[in-house]
Amino acid sequence: MDLIVREVSHRYGELRALEAVSLAVQAGETLALIGPSGCGKSTLLGIMGGLLEPSAGEVLTSGPLPEGCLNPFTYIFQDFALLPWRTVEGNVSLALEHHGLGAGERAERVASALALCGLVEFAHAFPKQLSGGMRQRVGIARAIVVRPALLFLDEPLSALDAQTRELLMEDLLAIWARERTTSIYVTHNLQEAVRLADRICVLSRRPGRVKEIVEVEVPREERANAEHARALAELQGRLWDLIRDEAAVADREMQDA
Amino acid sequence: MRATLTALGALLALALAGGQVQSQTKEKVSIAALPFVSSSPIFIAKELGYFDAEGLDLEIKIFNAAQPVAVATASGDTDFGITGLTGGFYNLAGKGALKIIAAQSREEPGYDFVAYVANPKAHEAGLRKPADLAGKTVGITTVGSTFHYNLGKLAEKHGFKLDSITLKPLQSIPNMSAALKGQQVDAILITANNAYQLEKEGAGKIIGWVHQETPWQLGALFTATRMVEGRRATVEKFVRAYLKGTAAYAEAYLQKDASGKRVFGKKAEDLYPIQQKWVKPEPQPQTVLASANFIDPQGRLLVRDIYDQVAWYQAQGLVDKDVDPRKFLDLSFVQGHMQVPQN
Amino acid sequence: MPETRPVAFRGGGFNPAGRRGASWIAFAAIIAAWQLSSSSGLLPALFMPSPLSVVEALARRVETGALTRHLAASLQRIALGWAVGTLGGLAIGTAMGIFAVARSIGLPVTSALFPIPKIALLPLLILWFGIGEPSKVATIALGVLFPTIISTYTAIDGVPRNLIRMGQSFGLPAAMIVWKILLPGALPGILSGFRISSSIALILVVAAEMIGAEHGIGAFILAAGNLMQTDQLVAGVVLLSLLGLAVSFGLSRLERWLLRWR
Repeated sequence: MDLIVREVSHRYGELRALEAVSLAVQAGETLALIGPSGCGKSTLLGIMGGLLEPSAGEVLTSGPLPEGCLNPFTYIFQDFALLPWRTVEGNVSLALEHHGLGAGERAERVASALALCGLVEFAHAFPKQLSGGMRQRVGIARAIVVRPALLFLDEPLSALDAQTRELLMEDLLAIWARERTTSIYVTHNLQEAVRLADRICVLSRRPGRVKEIVEVEVPREERANAEHARALAELQGRLWDLIRDEAAVADREMQDA
Repeated sequence: MRATLTALGALLALALAGGQVQSQTKEKVSIAALPFVSSSPIFIAKELGYFDAEGLDLEIKIFNAAQPVAVATASGDTDFGITGLTGGFYNLAGKGALKIIAAQSREEPGYDFVAYVANPKAHEAGLRKPADLAGKTVGITTVGSTFHYNLGKLAEKHGFKLDSITLKPLQSIPNMSAALKGQQVDAILITANNAYQLEKEGAGKIIGWVHQETPWQLGALFTATRMVEGRRATVEKFVRAYLKGTAAYAEAYLQKDASGKRVFGKKAEDLYPIQQKWVKPEPQPQTVLASANFIDPQGRLLVRDIYDQVAWYQAQGLVDKDVDPRKFLDLSFVQGHMQVPQN
Repeated sequence: MPETRPVAFRGGGFNPAGRRGASWIAFAAIIAAWQLSSSSGLLPALFMPSPLSVVEALARRVETGALTRHLAASLQRIALGWAVGTLGGLAIGTAMGIFAVARSIGLPVTSALFPIPKIALLPLLILWFGIGEPSKVATIALGVLFPTIISTYTAIDGVPRNLIRMGQSFGLPAAMIVWKILLPGALPGILSGFRISSSIALILVVAAEMIGAEHGIGAFILAAGNLMQTDQLVAGVVLLSLLGLAVSFGLSRLERWLLRWR
């Protein structure tokens, strides 16, 4: 399913967060949203999925829903947002319980999502018993169990250490290779963006505007190969040049939002 | 400046010494009492100087319930106490700290004090006399109160079981009046002035008086055991002054004419300022007369009745088995006690 | 080789772990000291009954069956009053945790009514509910209601907002968000509110049984006080505190089971 963002602006009281953002996400692609902190990346993600109401502009979709889709716009959260009183299985099943599925179908869906994320042996564990990486895998399983049309990832790896992040990126790539879910991936980590995205949308600092959209030419499955390392490093350098000055200014800003 | 202060200090010391000299001639004693008309012999004796005449300087400490009066005397806060006899009193006296030495109020035929008051509905439905209380719901202050005892004796007299009456402990007189008005109880036991008031408001019907059914020794003057043992002469002086008070009280409030009707004359009027000073809430002259119950003019106790009371409370499980009236009655201070058991 | 010195350990203390048995020993020591001072005459029976006489007083009531009667009457009032107050408190507290209107009305009203001693309202409650069971249950229920409102409201307010957002992002209906996210998330706070409200129920049973109660632990304690039967008075108080211990134990068990995910 395609997603079209048209002239979206947003303000929090006096503070202008987004200014006339327009962009289109094509079915099956992964778009990364990067920019200096406070540029409205997360705000834009909230607006795209209908969790925030924009001050102006509109968000449209086109194209058919994937088969078996229960929740077209689905999020994966930075802080995982797991219910601590539910087991891994219970957390994943939460997303299905209000859809009136039969118990058998629900169990089947949960089991296959757990299997896909390597969580089968943790099905009856509580979140506090899991490592951060495992917790985010539960968040991913909960998202894919509803077969979303659009997957919104809000800095999903930034609460994790570097090694775990590496492992989860591989998992995400594997899942995308299978499901081909249209995804919007918010991050402040340029390496993640270069590694995971088909296209990278660079936002300017507040109020956020689309500064540039960069295509990553190297096919996703080949990006781990050594021969592309140089091209990817150059791309990362270019992105850094685009946001560096603004990131420095943003860093010195007082927190008032 | 310093000189002035020193001089002042010296003056003060002199004044204090002078005061001491004066009070040294009188012995300090104290009594715990309720601010009721039934405590009047004490108020009268104090105001008319009977205690002074005995060389006693009396301090009256006012309490608002019978229980603290007994507790204050037992614990040594006061030397004497005067109040109604309750199950709680006997339990305390049974521990050996108190001695009853003279009479206070008594339910005596011809002198209205505590009434049985029915609510008008129940009255209409046939609750016409105290004996009809069997099977009814009756409000009392507390378990083991004098009202509880009155009902017990009433049941004994008319041959029904006390268990057949549903007792509602309501803690206070206002609660009892309210429960009667709200028809949550069929009847209550309440003192004369309140009973008249309820009848006047149409909220209750007086169906009888305790003195008509079960006359009994209601209150007593008592002292701490240590006083009898250590300051016997003081106790004797105190009782002499008290008996002058009871005699004056009887002359003013307990007179009857030839037909047996109570009459109040100039003496009652003369004593009114004393009542006004001590009785709380400050009473109207009429209220004093309505509340003036019988107090034996010579302070004589109905001794047999005290034995009966203890036995009844014990039978109810409200007074400990080992409480023995012989141990807390000291009959040597007043002559002519009535119905003294021979044993 | 230069001289070496050991690094001194500085991290001890400030770690109050429960020592099992210590509390029992303390209890036993206090009771033994009490009995000793009673039997040696240091503590006159007039002022404080000995533990033995308290036990005797209790045993007497057990024999006559009076104790069961008192316990049954009080437990019924406590259970009913607590349940009514708790259900009301949960409903109002939850509403205050969710709806802006309920919060802006409920907060000042609760703050105004909470500190009123319920015993002071007893005459009013008697006018409204009579001197029978309803006024006793109402006294306890009122006492339980306000702390439950406050603990429920605070607990709901403390449920992380991101969990609610997560629920919304998966399209959970509002009722499901309350039932599956807000209430379970507030459960720890609600349960610790139960500890307070159950103690309040026990405290108020004495006040509730002041008026027109023939049976009940509170009525028993009050009667013993009026009769100066100090051994029975203390026996009744001991009974109340045993009840408190039992309730606290039961709640701990419930907590451990319901909050096993913590």
